[in-house]
Amino acid sequence: MPLLKQGHVVEDIWVKVEDGGYLPDDRPALISHARWEAERDTLQKRNAPLGILLPNTADILVFGPEAGRFGVIALQFPKFSDGRAYSQARLLRERFGYRGELRATGNVLRDQLLHMHRAGFDAFEIPRDDAAEVFAKALASLSVFYQPTGDGRVTARDLRLRHLLREEAAE
Amino acid sequence: MAKAPRLDNHPQVITANHLATGDVVYLTRVASWSRDIGEATVAPNVQAGAALLAVAQAQAKMNIVIDPYLIPVDTSVSPPRPIQFRERIRAQGPTTAGRTSDAAREDRHVSV
Amino acid sequence: MYQYDQLDQRIVEERVAQFSDQVKRRLSGELSEDEFKPLRLQNGLYLQLHAYMLRVAIPYGTLSSKQLRGLAQIACKYDRGWGHFTTRQNLQFNWIRLEQAPDALADLARVQMHAIQTSGNCIRNTTTDQFAGAAHDEIEDPRVWCEIIRQWSTFHPEFSFLPRKFKIAVTGSPNDRAAVRVHDIGLRMHRNDAGEVGFEVIVGGGLGRTPFIGKTIRDFLPKQDLLSYLEAILRVYNLFGRRDNMFKARIKILVHEIGIEAMREKVEAEFAAIRDSALRLPEETIAQIAAHFAPPPFEALPAGIAPEYAQAFRTDFDFGLWARRNTARHKQPGYAIVTISLKKEGEPPGDASAEQMQAIADIADRYSFGEIRVTHEQNLVLPHVKQADLPEVWRALKAYELATPNVGLASDIIACPGLDYCALANARSIPLAQQIARRFRNWERAHDIGELKIKISGCINACGHHHVGHIGILGVDKAGEEFYQLTLGGSADDSAALGDILGPALNQARTVDAIDTLVETYLQLRRGNERFLDTYRRVGLQPFKEAIYAAA
Repeated sequence: MPLLKQGHVVEDIWVKVEDGGYLPDDRPALISHARWEAERDTLQKRNAPLGILLPNTADILVFGPEAGRFGVIALQFPKFSDGRAYSQARLLRERFGYRGELRATGNVLRDQLLHMHRAGFDAFEIPRDDAAEVFAKALASLSVFYQPTGDGRVTARDLRLRHLLREEAAE
Repeated sequence: MAKAPRLDNHPQVITANHLATGDVVYLTRVASWSRDIGEATVAPNVQAGAALLAVAQAQAKMNIVIDPYLIPVDTSVSPPRPIQFRERIRAQGPTTAGRTSDAAREDRHVSV
Repeated sequence: MYQYDQLDQRIVEERVAQFSDQVKRRLSGELSEDEFKPLRLQNGLYLQLHAYMLRVAIPYGTLSSKQLRGLAQIACKYDRGWGHFTTRQNLQFNWIRLEQAPDALADLARVQMHAIQTSGNCIRNTTTDQFAGAAHDEIEDPRVWCEIIRQWSTFHPEFSFLPRKFKIAVTGSPNDRAAVRVHDIGLRMHRNDAGEVGFEVIVGGGLGRTPFIGKTIRDFLPKQDLLSYLEAILRVYNLFGRRDNMFKARIKILVHEIGIEAMREKVEAEFAAIRDSALRLPEETIAQIAAHFAPPPFEALPAGIAPEYAQAFRTDFDFGLWARRNTARHKQPGYAIVTISLKKEGEPPGDASAEQMQAIADIADRYSFGEIRVTHEQNLVLPHVKQADLPEVWRALKAYELATPNVGLASDIIACPGLDYCALANARSIPLAQQIARRFRNWERAHDIGELKIKISGCINACGHHHVGHIGILGVDKAGEEFYQLTLGGSADDSAALGDILGPALNQARTVDAIDTLVETYLQLRRGNERFLDTYRRVGLQPFKEAIYAAA
């Protein structure tokens, strides 16, 4: 599965490990939320990077304080029309300050990439050869943003306030 | 959002909406689509209808029509008359009266 | 009214380009119907019985004459010369071709209009009082807040794939003409004890399969916290709303299942966390938006009734009939609010031809500062008309069959498009509405009956708002035949209530007769000035039930 990360297709350094499967201790591994909950004590002692795959029913308000332990948090879109992971992503980034890789998995389609990016995702499992190209197109498709998220984009409101301040200064 | 109509031993035709125009269309003898139900190919029973549906679904995959499905028709009249009220409305247009409704029934599109 | 700046304009143009690309990719087959459908819906394009239907957003029901002309031109260029005004203050074109939809949207963008988010599981058009900015009983103009909500909710990245659609309504008057208690979120502007204006926040109202009156989640929300609070509610809904069953996916079900206390707890916790974020509204931002809704340059006229108006009222019987029903009191001395009835006998309720739209735009320019409103009862409004001009306005409207004197009367029926147009319907609504209206064509009788809101829905989705009709009619399918179930006593105003089921469904002919019988029963039982609704509330269901079913 090609991994689109920060606009480029890269090799996925994270190996996905099934529950009950062998967990390599010398390379980055991605485990399930259930496994983390069950083996937390052992896993906390792990040296190699650990990533986690959260179901879209996971309560981020409960999980959030632990988010920093993980090099990657993968969230799920079982169907692209199931939008719970957008809220999960925003909470992880904006409420808990998560700075690691936030990955969109599941039914990840080109027409939702911009929304996902605005919500805080920076990595996407998207099975297409032209992933980088469609990502660039998606990000360029809208240049005005009405509402603030944690993505740092300037909102229309702030542009208007700046304009107002400039006008007032000019008077 | 088509509900699957009740299929019984009535003769069947295939109907769908044309993807690009939205027109109500019927599958014809030569596997094309017509707005005129009189040109629809009629399957004598449900089994033959299923075969027609497969042809129609292949056409849907080719992005010509959306959501084809079978409807029972009365072939004792010509053109065939859909048994279900909703399909008669689809075939003939809105039943409403008034200036805007008359405009609605005007035939504007060319045949597909 | 709100004018786009270059930022607003760019957003609709970019959206047109984006959708144009999506249409191309659908027609080429790169996008499947499953992948394309939500994108198409979020641009307001439905596939109905006969064709694609485009639902154009009319934000909070406010239109300029230029925009109304734009709609008329689109009706002619891309459709069959007319449009249908809906119960959510929007406009529907019923015959749009997918391949032309991007062009139609481009034409809309040229007059600062769009069809963004008029469908799909996202936040829809925020609706309000059709008399906003004009009503004498208004506390503040709710449209300022509707515009703020519109911007916040447009392309919201977190809330574009909700469990289900989401509808918000705002009222700025204690007389709720926006039906806030039957919306997912209702906002009622009012003053607290300190005299500050803020919002009562109501959640979980809605019609459809399982109707509910909304519950108050917060009594008073300060203005600057509006968006933070809305975001908190939407986030809780997005995370916890049901997604297993589309008929149980609205927020009203969530509120019902977890209870208002639990809902409040979750929302208030989220609100506390984000209250002071970038969502907090600065005074300057509020002022910038509010400036667009400053009153028009009214003339300074004496209070009381203008002599030209009084004279015409006295001498012209037909004018008097119309003025009595189709005008309302304005806050500005010497002015009035005019409702344009789109319920002419013989025409489908809520429809207007391109010609009529052009005429209304001209009349608005001449007599109403170029402004028009859409009501959620499928009529239009000229909000600011000088009383002295009323006779001329009436004559101008009459010339285009827009002066039926029946606003709020029995023939002012609200009807969804029904089985004549809609793929979801069980039964037709429009022919039934037309038959019922014909029974009330005698103006003396109609005026004697007085206010009677009849609302017809062709299916349980209740787009005709039948649950809140004084008489509600619901189309059902009984063994392939059209039947109608009646409800009584519904109301969408501050005394919001859901109608009571009268009895078993009736066929079309019996339904029309039943309406007559119900009205006769009311006329026999009423006391003093009681409207139908008042009499019903006093005597209850029984007398009406007997009148219809006992005789059978």
